[in-house]
Amino acid sequence: MNLLLGQILNGIATGMLYALMGLGLSLITGVLNIPNFAHGALFAVGAYLLVSVVGVLGNFWLGLIVAPIGVALLGLVIEWAGVRRLYAAGHDYQLLFTFGLALILNELIIVIWGPVGISHLPPALLRGGVDLGFTFYPKYRLFVMGMAGALVVLTWLFLEKTKYGAIMRAGIENKEMVSLLGIDIQMLFTVAFALGAYLAGIAGALTAPIRGLSPGMGVDMLGIAFVVVALGGLGNLLGAIAAGLLIGVAQAVVAAYWTEASTAVIFAVMAAVLLVRPQGLFGIR
Amino acid sequence: MRTLLLIVISILLLPLVVRPAIASEIWIFAIFGLALNLLLGYTGMLSFGQSTFFGSAAYVAGWLLKHYGINVFAALGVGVGVGALSALLVGYLCVQRSGLYFIMLTFALNQLFYFIAYQWTSVTGGEDGMPGIPRPSVLGLSIQESYWYYAFISLLFLLSLWAMKRIVESPLGKILQAIRENEVRAEAVGYDVPRFKLLAFVIAGAFSGLAGVLYAMLFGIVPLEAIGFVVSGNVVFATLIGGSGSLYGPIIGSFVFIWLSESVSTMWARWPLLLGVAFVIVVLFLRGGVVEAWTRFWTWRSSKQTG
Amino acid sequence: MSNLKRRNILKAGALGAAAAGFGFPSILRAQPKEIVMLGLWDQTGAFADVGPLNDRGMRMALEERGMKVLGKPIKYITRDGATQAGTSTRRAEEAIDGEGARFMIGPWSSGVALAVSEVAKRKKVLHLFSGGTEDISGARCHRYSFQWAASPYTAAKTVVDNFMKANPKAKRWHLLVADYAFGWSVEKYIKEVGKAHGLEFVGADRHPLGEREFSNYVQKAAANRPDVVAMINFGGDAVAGAREIFNFGLTPKLPLIMCWSSGVEELIQLAPEIRDNLWVGTNFYYTANTPVAKAFVKSYQAKFKTPPGYAPSAAYSMTRMLLAAFDKAKSDDVQAVIKALEGLEVNDLLGRMKVDGATHQTLRPYFFLRCKPKAQMKHELDLADIVATGDTPLPKQYAACKDIGGF
Repeated sequence: MNLLLGQILNGIATGMLYALMGLGLSLITGVLNIPNFAHGALFAVGAYLLVSVVGVLGNFWLGLIVAPIGVALLGLVIEWAGVRRLYAAGHDYQLLFTFGLALILNELIIVIWGPVGISHLPPALLRGGVDLGFTFYPKYRLFVMGMAGALVVLTWLFLEKTKYGAIMRAGIENKEMVSLLGIDIQMLFTVAFALGAYLAGIAGALTAPIRGLSPGMGVDMLGIAFVVVALGGLGNLLGAIAAGLLIGVAQAVVAAYWTEASTAVIFAVMAAVLLVRPQGLFGIR
Repeated sequence: MRTLLLIVISILLLPLVVRPAIASEIWIFAIFGLALNLLLGYTGMLSFGQSTFFGSAAYVAGWLLKHYGINVFAALGVGVGVGALSALLVGYLCVQRSGLYFIMLTFALNQLFYFIAYQWTSVTGGEDGMPGIPRPSVLGLSIQESYWYYAFISLLFLLSLWAMKRIVESPLGKILQAIRENEVRAEAVGYDVPRFKLLAFVIAGAFSGLAGVLYAMLFGIVPLEAIGFVVSGNVVFATLIGGSGSLYGPIIGSFVFIWLSESVSTMWARWPLLLGVAFVIVVLFLRGGVVEAWTRFWTWRSSKQTG
Repeated sequence: MSNLKRRNILKAGALGAAAAGFGFPSILRAQPKEIVMLGLWDQTGAFADVGPLNDRGMRMALEERGMKVLGKPIKYITRDGATQAGTSTRRAEEAIDGEGARFMIGPWSSGVALAVSEVAKRKKVLHLFSGGTEDISGARCHRYSFQWAASPYTAAKTVVDNFMKANPKAKRWHLLVADYAFGWSVEKYIKEVGKAHGLEFVGADRHPLGEREFSNYVQKAAANRPDVVAMINFGGDAVAGAREIFNFGLTPKLPLIMCWSSGVEELIQLAPEIRDNLWVGTNFYYTANTPVAKAFVKSYQAKFKTPPGYAPSAAYSMTRMLLAAFDKAKSDDVQAVIKALEGLEVNDLLGRMKVDGATHQTLRPYFFLRCKPKAQMKHELDLADIVATGDTPLPKQYAACKDIGGF
């Protein structure tokens, strides 16, 4: 029983990270209508930037602020230099472009930071763990859970309660209408891509002290982010959050009893849900 | 006719300039590309999970070859069957969706198959792959020698090309193209669009399965990556680089892609970087791929000659 | 019409010319006078970090001899196997056919190496490999492949015997095993050797190669309340696993064993706190007390500013053994070199090393280390002491290589 509780807690922690990744990807796919295969690479860049910033400034918290902003800026550049020219090109070329971009970023990480993995410890404040009664749990993971949760809520509030957020949601629903309203849709796309990149970057930065860094670290996350989006419904932000938590917990619970299947279960859950509800958990279409 | 001649000449010339193993792989990959292009180029479905069928067929046929010593035609038949069947399963889940959803679904289901192959080690060998797959004789003729196997593959490639040409020029092919052009109109005219899409998916799966079996027999092993998403991606990229607008695009793409990745990888350890740059350049400047660039070049040339 | 025809001929010509240009390197066959050696080292994929280190070791061994053996120049070529069986076999075949390589070393992943070993057998080239699978010198042994790493039995025996000597009460073991050929082999013998000590294996979880999220595995391990956690994994997996085991508060209260570690390369990635109560089995440790090791470590450190771990050392030592076999055979014929390598005895990097002619397994010592607490470290690289070495060969009843076969 204690094991099950511990695993559920753990599932929520990883699920929050999945939700963060899925939310960013859902924003990009929803607003811009492109398959972003570079989302995993942006995640990896976030983690590596964190380590470099912490190395230079010697402060984890500054790193956690600066690194994702760096990834968002990278997102701006990518949108401005490439993605912008591909809105009319069809998904096949968008896919080729973002996949090529992922290859480039992944290899640049190896060129800049080397092929050997890097281990990064949490800040001193968050080292060690606490006894929760049913399990001993690392403080840093509790922090990640809270931080990722707060980010998810903030993004949610931004989209629901602010004017620009409302425009962005409208952009997911109906692009013609948004441009008829005289809103700079190009600007909207750029902001959405940068925001999506920011979320991937901060997910990567938060993950660095847990999983360590390796150049290929984004690949697993990419697959999971796609599952989250497909499961939650395309462009459905609430769905992405719920789907992230669902597969995080499913994975952890299965790992308690049948570790070998714990990765496959992510995809099995997706297939099962889509068989019953082809539009995803919360999709309308 | 002249295209056919050109292809036959390339088949004859290719083993003189690259190793037979790589030459064989180019034609295998071309079969795989033909299959994808039926979906991508002719029906407008971008499947990012084609290795599901390629890999499943390779595993099943490889298993039967290894443990039951089935003959080569049975192996090919099993591959085609498994490819079609797995495509029916995946297609059933996917064809209802379109656009990004379709891409993500095919990709995610590909991952599901991958992890099953990864974990089912008693059958697939998991990370180690399934080695020791024999290459049985064809009607008493041994194809152990790499040039003979190359000839065998070339023959099957020509056969696949012929079959695919027949399919795309048949009424079915016209319907698929109508779906690509305008799904709503095709539906309005009375075609059962999801059904035709599923049919295209199954046909493509069958061809992919054939390619998968040939691949298994090429190196005598089914590696885990045969069912991984990188292979799914590679076939899409090869097709796009060649040009998805033509029946022959995937053939050229397969040649360019395999030759490029093989030769560049021996020059620089960070070769995927160059591959990524090549993708970006193709997308930003050479959309339409090699076939279109080629046509443009010849139009330009002949206009200069006449002018 | 004639214009059209001419264009076709032009097209075909252009294609032919282009193709000939593309294929140029493969036409350039190796000069028969030079000996081509292939290092199949991963530059991409799961072991992308290891390949460059392997390359350093092999290159150093060849450079020591001035890139020559038996008076003939050695041409050293490398290929990126991408840590994938398909890519590795394809590139190995290409290097054998296209570049005339007759001697190959690598790759690093034991599963991939098994596939490459089939290529060696089919193409009749000498293949040296170092890794944790027992099959290359076991069930799938053949005349062309040789194994440098200790037999998984030797490793398991060294680790379990010496750990139990220091911690006789730690009888409840939880295993974390990398789910591929290497992990299975070592796990099998840890359990086998453990019987003699009355060990109870309270859990054994397998994780995929390249796993980075160990929390689920660690929580499960903690719930089993073991006396010790033993990991049978490698590189990034081992580092990520050790970090999480520490984060979840298992170490340093419980001892952690890394049964088959890369040695110094993994240990420097772990913070000193994480190394507390960490025990390590490895194929090579840089403080090994042999003249060859001392000279190698010195020149490696001078060149790369870091001590060599298992990966460069294995490549270095395999290359030296291969060259020693050339000297012994006084020939560069593949079969003659194989015959010379069978039964070869050298006093080299690890001390006394002997190749068993019947199984192609190198009989050699395996190292068991105990990491030092931070307070006892004399300098930054003073990470661990060699507690013991062991070289018990695989007992006959387990030997799966019944007949090494002919050429």
